[in-house]
Amino acid sequence: MPSQIIDLLTQRWDFFQGLLVEHVEICLVAILIAIVFGGVAGILISEYRKAARPTLGVVNFLYTIPSISMLGFLIPFSGIGDATAVIALTIYALLPMVRATYTGMTNVDPAIMEAAKGMGGTRMQTLVRVQLPLAMPVIMSGIRNMVTMTIALGGIASYIGPGGLGVAIYRGITTNNTAMTIVGSLLIALLALVVDAILGFVERRMQMRGQRARRTNRRLAIGAAVVCVAAALGATVPGMLASPSDTIHVATKPMTEQYVMGEALKTLIEHDTNLKVKLTEGVAGGTSNIEAGMESGQFDLYPEYTGTGWAAVLKNKGTYSEDQFDTLQADYKKRLDMSWVGMYGFGNTFGIAVRSDVAQKYNLKTYSDLAKVASQLNLGAEPDFFEREDGYDALCKAYGMSFGKTTEMDAGLKYDALDQGSVDAIIVYTTDGKLSTADAKVLEDDKGFFPSYQCGNVVRNQTLREHPELRTELKKLQGTISQRDMARMNYEVEEKGKDPKAVAREFLKSKGLI
Amino acid sequence: MGTTTTDTAIEYRDVCKSYGEKSVLSHLSLKVKRGEFVTMIGSSGSGKTTALKMVNRLLEPTSGTVLVDGRDVRETDPIQLRRNIGYAIQGSVLFPHMTVEDNISYVPNLLNKRDHDRTRKAVHKWMGIVGLPDDLLDRYPSELSGGQQQRVGIARALAASPDILLMDEPFGAVDEITRGQLQAEISRIHRETGITVMFVTHDIGEALRLGTRVLVLDGGTVQQYGTPEEILADPATEFVSQLVSRQRHTCDLPEDQLCACEHSGAARARAALDAR
Repeated sequence: MPSQIIDLLTQRWDFFQGLLVEHVEICLVAILIAIVFGGVAGILISEYRKAARPTLGVVNFLYTIPSISMLGFLIPFSGIGDATAVIALTIYALLPMVRATYTGMTNVDPAIMEAAKGMGGTRMQTLVRVQLPLAMPVIMSGIRNMVTMTIALGGIASYIGPGGLGVAIYRGITTNNTAMTIVGSLLIALLALVVDAILGFVERRMQMRGQRARRTNRRLAIGAAVVCVAAALGATVPGMLASPSDTIHVATKPMTEQYVMGEALKTLIEHDTNLKVKLTEGVAGGTSNIEAGMESGQFDLYPEYTGTGWAAVLKNKGTYSEDQFDTLQADYKKRLDMSWVGMYGFGNTFGIAVRSDVAQKYNLKTYSDLAKVASQLNLGAEPDFFEREDGYDALCKAYGMSFGKTTEMDAGLKYDALDQGSVDAIIVYTTDGKLSTADAKVLEDDKGFFPSYQCGNVVRNQTLREHPELRTELKKLQGTISQRDMARMNYEVEEKGKDPKAVAREFLKSKGLI
Repeated sequence: MGTTTTDTAIEYRDVCKSYGEKSVLSHLSLKVKRGEFVTMIGSSGSGKTTALKMVNRLLEPTSGTVLVDGRDVRETDPIQLRRNIGYAIQGSVLFPHMTVEDNISYVPNLLNKRDHDRTRKAVHKWMGIVGLPDDLLDRYPSELSGGQQQRVGIARALAASPDILLMDEPFGAVDEITRGQLQAEISRIHRETGITVMFVTHDIGEALRLGTRVLVLDGGTVQQYGTPEEILADPATEFVSQLVSRQRHTCDLPEDQLCACEHSGAARARAALDAR
């Protein structure tokens, strides 16, 4: 494992470096906002003590909201992306900041405060010249805690679209790449430690007294400010100079095959046209969150599955089959002003896989067989499956089955859970790379419950009108990937540890597309 | 009114202060002449600090009026009022994050922000007056001795050349010898500048030695207000006579004549030794 980690780091340093920079940017913005607002709030409530209790109560409450549900609350308001991540991180950073400032300000020796007042300082002068400097050590230690926490939490925020090292962790989990997860985690830990060490140095310098120390401090502060401004300019100016209108925003779901398709789309489009592609990979929550981004214009296109579009997006009743595709296409145009362009040729349908020993023990072949013994079994599936209209409840109803226990788990963990025996059956996708090697049996959907899930690109019509060349590119992908191809590519990424980008390039080359 | 009070720096007119039911100062009426050094003495809870803090409006009277330079302090801007009144409190409470120079120039900096030259001159002048060498200017309070800290505290209170100086047990936390030196310094400064001083203490010896007038307070009421001689010669109440009994019995014979007075401690000790 250590050698794998080092290989990954050296071979794909550019990838990690990009994530590292994004991580720093997102956290830095949140930290700066929290320092300003939290600091001001802390000072205000130390001035107006009556407001202290309710204010601390509110920030305390916000702090206790689990991060996953915080992101869930925020997505409807601020969409998928940097803004939501920054807002969430800022909210969590507020409590330590407000509390440290309040504690520092209120614990300044009252005799010193009275002396300052008695000498004729205005409230503001006393605050700036006496109270704040004396509260600074406490505030500074609060900032250190807050910064470490924000950098660590930055990993979670990356789940909802923006970059940062969380991308590596999440991708590692969804594509069964443990080394990737470890590298992401290690870099976050390392970043937190380095930043904390820098702040520790700042803290020590601030406590140093004497003229020489003060002169050195002034020089260091000016130097640091220059570096910060240069970094900020370097980060923003190139983005401002580049014309943003020619960028196609592509989103993908947190599934291995979608990472591959995302890279394939980016490579193909950028190879054949002048368009730039901005990939937002592995958007947590999948369809529901990406669809919201599509409707708001945040994303231009994403790979979707027909059955999912039919039931989860259009909210149509009944089981979807491919002879309803024209209705699906028409409804997308009418209701969402979007189109399905470039059907890849493979379907990623749901299936139920049971561990071989379980299948043998109960002699399971079909879903109907499973229904008889389901009450003794534990079913594992993604949270999405328990939520969706065509998911768990519908399945149980169709076959009159009810599982003894159900367990929600992330897609990347299902096969491990099945293998380790913590669940007996799992909901699989028929293109799962791991399915080909798993010690499991896929049962037959004897009543044809699961709809068809053919994969294709959903695109905003407005984008197609603005960039007609896009339609040509997407059409090139029509019918290029069979179910076997997809399962094999998934296997290469998940089990062989190949880079989705490399797999995508190989595929495009083999089809003569690049 | 203005003309009759020109020589009165501070005046209390029937001032009362109470917290809820508890009265800490009742019906205090008092005039302090310009250039006077008033020491305020009494046990803790006597109301002496309360009376002092009313002058620079750190506390407001429950009823009655406090006048500074003939003006009701309630009608003045507290910030302006305080900037013209020096304030030194127990342990002097220097700002620990500022150098000696920054501490002393704190009030001048509040007053004239731009004129650094004038401020530097004032700092230098007051360092000299309180007897501190200039090489201490870059030190922090924690690097100073107790006595040096008190001197900086006095210099800080006086740096903006106020007309009135309020001191609340400023020498409470220093040793006997240093206190003697500081007392001599403050007496000299008072003589040289003609500043009006109000000085709270719980040491009757200090009160009698420093004050041109002594105010004795007990339980929030005035026991006696007079020159040290008046206090010593005619204690007005039982409380005052108890307070000054030791001083009344002190004999100030020169060293070589100490044993000539048979009531002196030295003579009695000598007699006891001789009797062995």
